[in-house]
Amino acid sequence: MSSHREAPEISKDPVADSTDVYTFVSPDKPDSVTLIANYIPLQSPAGGPNFYEFGDDVLYEIHVDNNGDGQADITWQFRFTTTVANPNTFLYNTGPIESIGSPNWNRRQSYDVTVVSGFSEATIGSGLASPPCNIGPLSTPNYGTVAGQAVHDLGNGITVFAGQRAEAFYVDLGSIFDLGDLRPFENLHATFGLPGLPAAPGVNATNHLNVHSIAIQVPISLVTRSGHPTIGVWTTASRQRVRLWDADSGMNIDAGPFRQVSRLGNPLVNEVLIPLGHKDQWNSLPPSDDKLFAGYVTQPGLAALLPTLYPGVFPNLAALVSSGKPRADLEAILLTGIPAGIIPGFQNFTGTVLADMLRLNTSIAPTPAGKQSIFGLLGGDPAGFPNGRRVTDDVVAIELRAIAGVTYPLIDKSFTPDAAAGQLTDGLTPASVSAPPLGQFPYLGVPYSGYDNPS
Amino acid sequence: MSSQDEKRASGPEPSGSPGRRLSRRSLLQGAATAGAAGLAVTAVGAAASPAVAATRTPAAHAAPEMSTAARGHGEASTAAGPIMVHVRDAKSGDIEVFSGTSQTRLRDKDLAARIARAAR
Repeated sequence: MSSHREAPEISKDPVADSTDVYTFVSPDKPDSVTLIANYIPLQSPAGGPNFYEFGDDVLYEIHVDNNGDGQADITWQFRFTTTVANPNTFLYNTGPIESIGSPNWNRRQSYDVTVVSGFSEATIGSGLASPPCNIGPLSTPNYGTVAGQAVHDLGNGITVFAGQRAEAFYVDLGSIFDLGDLRPFENLHATFGLPGLPAAPGVNATNHLNVHSIAIQVPISLVTRSGHPTIGVWTTASRQRVRLWDADSGMNIDAGPFRQVSRLGNPLVNEVLIPLGHKDQWNSLPPSDDKLFAGYVTQPGLAALLPTLYPGVFPNLAALVSSGKPRADLEAILLTGIPAGIIPGFQNFTGTVLADMLRLNTSIAPTPAGKQSIFGLLGGDPAGFPNGRRVTDDVVAIELRAIAGVTYPLIDKSFTPDAAAGQLTDGLTPASVSAPPLGQFPYLGVPYSGYDNPS
Repeated sequence: MSSQDEKRASGPEPSGSPGRRLSRRSLLQGAATAGAAGLAVTAVGAAASPAVAATRTPAAHAAPEMSTAARGHGEASTAAGPIMVHVRDAKSGDIEVFSGTSQTRLRDKDLAARIARAAR
């Protein structure tokens, strides 16, 4: 998964588990950028009566680095508060929720937004309503309208939304976690001596599941420095250091300063590249410390695995791995940005500091919908991943192909990628997501309802 | 009576927030401490406020429709707030005290000994 349940400790704390970050120049408002951080993975829409919600005890943050040091220059903090109108019923709602202020909505969340920059901080939104979860046609009729009431204009060109959305990240978890199987290529898999499998279409394991999204749209001028259009973006979740279960009250008591427990910038970095023994440590550190993990990017274990899992399919990759040459192409894509002069007319380089951030060159205009490539930069579309990340970008295929060697010629023109490298995919496309993205903020699709998606 | 070596880290921001960066050393120290926290965490003062769910300033976050019971919890947090004491090493008197979003590190052998005796 992009970063769903990617590390042992955070997999036990879904409320604080970041799953995806999206960053793109807003297609319908190109003087702004949209930053989205998703949390609470793999929500079954029918998961009531206590439907999914943000953690009141979690500090959620979206960070922007605009000077390339891998440390935040601007941070938006989101803190949630849950209220219960009537604690004497088990019901989430006591009738249809037909507006954001409906008295029938029994358990709701609101949130505050604080912006921190340098040594100053300011609360720019208080008591902002989150939408309800999408329950079904009786409880949440006209869901889109109600959710639209949870889009808040904070002034100064800033818009926010925080609530349930349809999962937009498409991936065939069932096959990938079955020893690196890719259904379209499983006829080529080594199968470890077990009976072979025929090639098959991919299956989107995250379809009909929801997440909780924090989205903010801000003017580009607010997040960039003059003459430096590229920003680095990541999200973190933090918890207070001490938690005590108070059995008398049936509630937790938290105390102490917040400490980071989850981090996410580029998709799949902690998930796929960082080894099991370091994933939780990675989650606790800022991007500026990522030189500690650079070796896992420049010598990715998956690159060594592919020739073993698919015998005879990746001979050139196998030779590259055997040579021990560091993958400077992956380092550029994931840790520094791509310098000028590598890809004609494109760069999103932020400097030599190795930091996993989702880098977006904000001076590159959005590609019109009909001309976009889901393979982003690999598909000749400079407005897509790894120049930021749009909701529909096929980051699984892009990263698989990059790791398999497709991008190595960027730094060594004598290298010829294996023919299969440029074809790698788990067999999915944006059409594998049943809930289509929206054309406007917050862009992620209407969440699936429990009634219509009971299992 | 006590030789205190206090280190206070306060404020609600974690390490990654701008302007609130801690050193890498303190980060790693924090991680190590968190790992050991299960050894001896004691709640002091929390008993009087048995349902404090969070350490945030509740007045700014309490929604109008909050139930009486829930509001009561928040007010308790404001009035007193839980204080958590972690005796890292009773022998050396190494103690951490957590309150709100701050922590204080102190070295007090007598206090550590009294807490250790109370824990037996």
